[in-house]
Amino acid sequence: MDRIQLGLRWALLTFFLLVTVAANADEANQTWGQLTESQRQVLNPLASEWDTLRPWQREKMLDIARDYPKMSPEKQGLVKKRLTNWSRMTPYERENARKRHQQFKALPDDKKRELRQKWNEYQKLPESERTKLRAESPETYGDSSLD
Amino acid sequence: MNMHKDNMTNGKNTNLIDDNVISDPVMEQQIAHGISDLLKNRAQHLSPEQEQRLSAARNAAVSYLVEQQAQYNTGNQIAGNGHVLRWFDHLGQNFEQHRVASAALLVVVMLLTFFALQQFGTTHNLENSDAFLLASDLPPEAYADKGFDAWIESN
Repeated sequence: MDRIQLGLRWALLTFFLLVTVAANADEANQTWGQLTESQRQVLNPLASEWDTLRPWQREKMLDIARDYPKMSPEKQGLVKKRLTNWSRMTPYERENARKRHQQFKALPDDKKRELRQKWNEYQKLPESERTKLRAESPETYGDSSLD
Repeated sequence: MNMHKDNMTNGKNTNLIDDNVISDPVMEQQIAHGISDLLKNRAQHLSPEQEQRLSAARNAAVSYLVEQQAQYNTGNQIAGNGHVLRWFDHLGQNFEQHRVASAALLVVVMLLTFFALQQFGTTHNLENSDAFLLASDLPPEAYADKGFDAWIESN
């Protein structure tokens, strides 16, 4: 009788875990029309291309939509503005960006300010010069499998 | 001494004592003294066989009393420890009686733990999520642009 009870408990636990995993998998397969109103509002810049995104791309975007309400209105504005460019970056570029972002967060405030200023200056360079700089730069992370 | 009639055999004499007499404490005490004196007088003239039987009866009575006392003490000790044992036993019986309820309770606890851990993980990873990268001081292109890195190094 005890074995039956123990088996029943494990079965229930496994069932709930499977339901959770299945729910997450289903969410990543949702079409634009299947998203909730709040998700659509956040991910609006991606409306036209959402159905062409692959499940893992959608999953990452849905994570952004999930964290969006926890941010200040100013930060929410930045997210909406940058979302389209972010979705068009390759996985490799995104992974690079995540690592660089972690390094940036660890910098002191004066260094952060300096980098922001430098980025503005870099943006003022002609596109041809920036392309040349990119072409001459070696890959920071050699893991091409991320592409 | 709760007796209607007490036949006190004193040799060939038989004294009858009624309830009214024996319920009087003074009289009762006098009777007890009388019995005691009679026993003392007669004890002087006991045969060895009677002495042996009396001694054996006394030993048996004392042994019985010691045994009763020991059982009483052990019983008290068990009863003292028994509170805890009975409590566990009671708890076990309750779980046994409410199998479904205890299984449901276990599942609820597991689910709450699961969601609490998930919530903790979400909070912990919040600052590392892509949403916060997008809201960062620099746009994501700045982090991914290797030309920007090269330009900073050359400047």
